[in-house]
Amino acid sequence: MTLSAQFFADRRNRTDALIWVGFLALPLVLGEWEVTQIAQYLTYGIFAMSLALIWGHCGLMSFGHAVFFGLGAYAMSLSTLGMLPGLEGWTSSYLGIALALAVPAVFANLLGRFLFYGRGLQGAQLAIVMLAVAVIAERLMARWPYAGGMNGLMSVPPVNLGLFGADIEIFDPLPLYYLTLFAAIAVYIILESLVRSRRGVVMRAVASDEARTAFLGYDTRAVKLSAFTISAAVAGFAGALFVAQFGFVSPPLIGFGLSTEVLIWVALGGRHGLLTAFLGAIIVRLAENTLADLLGPAWLLGLGLLFVLCVIFLPRGLLGEIYTRLTLPRGTADTGQR
Amino acid sequence: MDQALLLLLDATNYVLVIILVAMGLVIVFGLMRVINMAHGELFLLGAYTLVLLQQAGVPYWIGLIAATLLVGFIGLLMEELVIRHIYHRFLDTILATWGISIAIKQGVVLLFGPGAQSTTAPITAQLQIFGASYPAYRLFIMAVALLVVAGTFYLFFRTRFGLAARAVIANRAMAGCLGVPTRTFDRLTFAYGAALAGLAGAVMAPIMSVDPQMGLGFLIPAFLSILVGGAGHLAGPVLGAGLIGATDSVTAGLWSPVMAQVVVFAMAVVAIRLFPGGLMGRGGPR
Repeated sequence: MTLSAQFFADRRNRTDALIWVGFLALPLVLGEWEVTQIAQYLTYGIFAMSLALIWGHCGLMSFGHAVFFGLGAYAMSLSTLGMLPGLEGWTSSYLGIALALAVPAVFANLLGRFLFYGRGLQGAQLAIVMLAVAVIAERLMARWPYAGGMNGLMSVPPVNLGLFGADIEIFDPLPLYYLTLFAAIAVYIILESLVRSRRGVVMRAVASDEARTAFLGYDTRAVKLSAFTISAAVAGFAGALFVAQFGFVSPPLIGFGLSTEVLIWVALGGRHGLLTAFLGAIIVRLAENTLADLLGPAWLLGLGLLFVLCVIFLPRGLLGEIYTRLTLPRGTADTGQR
Repeated sequence: MDQALLLLLDATNYVLVIILVAMGLVIVFGLMRVINMAHGELFLLGAYTLVLLQQAGVPYWIGLIAATLLVGFIGLLMEELVIRHIYHRFLDTILATWGISIAIKQGVVLLFGPGAQSTTAPITAQLQIFGASYPAYRLFIMAVALLVVAGTFYLFFRTRFGLAARAVIANRAMAGCLGVPTRTFDRLTFAYGAALAGLAGAVMAPIMSVDPQMGLGFLIPAFLSILVGGAGHLAGPVLGAGLIGATDSVTAGLWSPVMAQVVVFAMAVVAIRLFPGGLMGRGGPR
């Protein structure tokens, strides 16, 4: 069997590849406006994948994941606006992206060292501590004149892929869409291979029983710390891509509100799969876009109730449930629980 | 001198309000292992019930009792419809109750609009305390908080109801074997926690702006008090709220309210990290 035949023998791979091909073909059927919208939602999708990595695969639920998204967004904005101390006027998108990966990763690593080591925080405590961290970050950003304070930073330039003074601004809907989509696919491939590696198995072991995994000789804190760091870097990357499209960064991007929103996207989509979380973010945003005008405040009411039902009856998420059915090897009965 | 005294009174007032909110939360969290993110919205419902009844011409005191009972009943519904399914999935309680909180908040926005409502306090007198003038209604709030704490301790540690409720929590199967109706006690304990939130909301309504966002401002400090103090014992949040409320009031008085929040939350994060079981606790919640 050739390598590609082997790859496509797995129904998961076939389904995932089909979905990505679908995204590649999307601009063929949609207008420019919709493509721009979806390009923006793709960045939310990347953000959702980063949360699914630590939540679904490592058991770390966080009520403050937007901290990393926001840090990435601010890092990108400050560097592309040429506001970095010592590097004034230096407006490289590459530098911005590098910082948007590095700053959240370093912050997450330090925070993780503080929270996981020593006596270590357990599930709910971590969730609420991260909530407090998100509120602190939002308040501090709102009071920091350098980062624009309450008003945030405006007219952030789009991604510029040019090197050595050449300008290749990615601004038109189609190039923008494909740039973001390729970024999403790259993130997906990297994270998916992490999840399917031995390290991924250990991560899920930590999620299901940390004490037992530690008894088997794994350094569970290091596993959690590395997952947390990688996830933060990906969230920061998503933030950078988002702000380059949106052109505007403000304190709510780093705060509690967005943190809970991403939690809902991932829970509705399905936290145990990267792709289901990704699709969850995009579908909820699309639905919000069309239904929020139609229903007004009732939309959020419905979303809240749907979320409650989903948590109680479909812990794998709406899409996760469908995805599991679709990707079960032929002839296996669904046993209900994994 | 007057300034210092007023600061002290305000700090005491804030601490007692947080204790009032945290008490209901800790009963549900510490005793039933459910993290109720909708507690802030139960607080909100208490406040709105009072506003609605006052607008209808009902006297304040009846409104207070009605708000407590109504929110207690809503708690009962929540337990029966949602919480009952997820007792064994600790982290999912956070998510489900967060969903409920969104739904309640939006329901209130739909019914009353996003704007602020106002209501009047039944006591408007100013009292002279050591030469400083202080609203009597705030003293009434402090008294209510102290009464609620004392009453809760009495209920859970000095009555047969409390003994049975703690027995259900300590060992459900054994309590059931001894003839304690365990499901009834789950319902009642949860409803009691919810009713306390409703009471707190109704008591606080006259001195704050009653709007759909009012719950969250109390929820986070209350949670942090519980985690700082320890959920293993009812006295934990009393200590935690004391520390958090006092730091907040003093920092707000000396610096600014926003920075007070930052300082307090950061301190709480450090305290939780250093004492994961809480200052009062032996093993913490898992």
